[in-house]
Amino acid sequence: MNRWTPILLAALLPWTLALAQTPQRGGAPAEKPPNPPRPPDEARAARGKAVYERYCLSCHGEHGDGRGYSAQWLDPRPRDFTRAIFKCRSTPSGTLPVDDDLMRSLREGLYHTNMPSWEVLGDRSLRDVIEYFKTFSPRWKEEGPGDPIPFVPEPADDAASRKKGQQVWNSQACFNCHGQTGKGDGPSVSTLFDDWAFHITPFDFTSSPRRKCGSTDKDLYRTFLTGMNGTPMPSFADTVSADEAWHLVHFLKTLQVKNTKQHLFGFSVGN
Amino acid sequence: MRRTILRSLVGTAAFCLMIIGMGLFSPAALAVPAFARKTGLACSSCHEVWPRLNDFGQLFRDRGYRLERDRDAPVEQDGSYWPIALRTTVGYQWMRNTLVPTDTGTTDTTTGTFGFTGLDLFAAGNLGDRLSFLVVFTPGLAQSGFQLAPSNLDSDLESAFVGIHDIGTSWVTLRVGKHAPDLPVDEHRTLTLTQGYNVYHFHPQGSHVTWEPGSNQNGIELYGHSDLSRVRYSFSLVNENDAEFVSSTFLANPVVWGHVQATQYLDNPLLAAVKLGAFGSVGWHASSALTAPTASGGGPIAGTGTNHKNHYRYGGEAHLYFLSTVNPLTLSAVVWGGTDDQALVDGAISDATFIGGFLEGVWTITPRVSLLGRYELIHPSGGADPAAGPVAGDVNTWTVTLRHTFELTSRTEAAVHLEFSRFNQDAGDGTSPSSYAALIGLDFSL
Repeated sequence: MNRWTPILLAALLPWTLALAQTPQRGGAPAEKPPNPPRPPDEARAARGKAVYERYCLSCHGEHGDGRGYSAQWLDPRPRDFTRAIFKCRSTPSGTLPVDDDLMRSLREGLYHTNMPSWEVLGDRSLRDVIEYFKTFSPRWKEEGPGDPIPFVPEPADDAASRKKGQQVWNSQACFNCHGQTGKGDGPSVSTLFDDWAFHITPFDFTSSPRRKCGSTDKDLYRTFLTGMNGTPMPSFADTVSADEAWHLVHFLKTLQVKNTKQHLFGFSVGN
Repeated sequence: MRRTILRSLVGTAAFCLMIIGMGLFSPAALAVPAFARKTGLACSSCHEVWPRLNDFGQLFRDRGYRLERDRDAPVEQDGSYWPIALRTTVGYQWMRNTLVPTDTGTTDTTTGTFGFTGLDLFAAGNLGDRLSFLVVFTPGLAQSGFQLAPSNLDSDLESAFVGIHDIGTSWVTLRVGKHAPDLPVDEHRTLTLTQGYNVYHFHPQGSHVTWEPGSNQNGIELYGHSDLSRVRYSFSLVNENDAEFVSSTFLANPVVWGHVQATQYLDNPLLAAVKLGAFGSVGWHASSALTAPTASGGGPIAGTGTNHKNHYRYGGEAHLYFLSTVNPLTLSAVVWGGTDDQALVDGAISDATFIGGFLEGVWTITPRVSLLGRYELIHPSGGADPAAGPVAGDVNTWTVTLRHTFELTSRTEAAVHLEFSRFNQDAGDGTSPSSYAALIGLDFSL
């Protein structure tokens, strides 16, 4: 080692660290050791069993396999907890969600499905039943949850951003599934099936501003970058930058219905 | 001689009250499997134990039978969905009545019959995004009521209303039509089948007031609730049902009923939640009216009632949810008072008042198995002159119920129902007749 080597290493070190912390394109930090598993809390799971049996079993089934007695009439089908694959996550595609992701789904429900909001049950019951969900799949004992994706600041929602978003829409061929106008009627629709081989329909962005995995801009941004596991909706974290994801959010909002007010006796009321 | 006739009349009235209070108690009990068919949820999602609502069910009801996930409107429903349901209970009922007046004195009677509790036909659901409706039809059936008394053959619309929800906010909703006033414990969803909440229907002896908060009323209800219905209020403006004198005012014999209720969830393994509430009503009842010529019957002429006097009901409630809010042991205490103006009570020497209430414990062991125990006391005072004849005294009742729901799906409900109850009222003449009822039934709804 010559005398320049330490100086060179010292000069490179900040760059090395900076590169190590630089997110992938819209994704999670690279090369971080996986999080340790968070197996179900047995005491909470025991209490959660009572919650599950009262409120969840009819759809999700006694064994958590999504085959409750009501499941046959539901579209989309209830989640199968035995594979621990979840649509609505803040964690990268293919990873387990964090508890807050499951809480969000329980609190808010999933629009356009039969999954209602269970917020009225209170946080204690919801935390308990999440622990019970985890008993259905060995994944929770073997893997830790992923790290939530970072949120970069949202750029201004202006014409330039929306135009860039439209370019992303075209470059990623979103229209193949969602259709040119976002109505969910793209040419690929008939070929779309979920991981359980049930036909699945792409979201119709024109029908409602309320979406399955949350209705805020942040929720939509998150969905692009995490995908919806178990469905044909992939993660675009490897092909779309964080800024591009925001542009796409801004473009999609132009497809949505403008007037969300509902009508009563011909008059607009509420929101 | 006059006193003997009065005693006989009071005894007969007390007996009739017992029969009404026990054998024929079959309120249109609301548990609507059509909702389960529509939502895909099991009945246990909304009912702590069918037909008793839990907080999720209360919120669903307050929201106008909507889950608010963009799938509530009729156009979102599967074509095969039809919002119709029915409920009845078939089985065996045993009854024992003591001190039953006869033409040769009093006697005790015992009888048992097979029968059913009548039939409730429901249609309920949504007419649009923010419009709900409920129609409950109770057909007159000659063989209902376990054949213990002459059957009421009158068919009736037990309930018929349209709800207009979230008029700008969840705090403003209107229900128009025949509806149930919001009560501290909903009689239409109680577990008991032989006895309801007598205090909801109580009138001081001799009172002409026919207002019973426990019965559905024609009128309009303004109600609202917080996001999760942890705080709720309700005001109903109704006509007094079956009033003898129909007022000459723009609204005949009006009654305003109000109820507020607040729930606090506690992160506590012993006491999971507390619910408190207060309620009351004020009514204006015509105390006189013009009458038709004697030759044509002589009855009061509708629309001529005047000289309105007030009647009041008021009270408070506390409900403690032990163990959990999922399968709770619930203890409820309701205190209920009432005052009818002296002018509204036959032979009264003062305003007729009463104070009463009930204590009720419901232990939901699982969504399928539940135990209920209830004690109710009503103590009347004032009103009719004791010197003119016996004045009925305290009402004491208790009920125990065990219920096992063996079919509990999103399509049907069926339960084995065991119940034993006692109704007792001091007749005011030194006697205290009682009525006992035991019911073994199969209660089902689809």
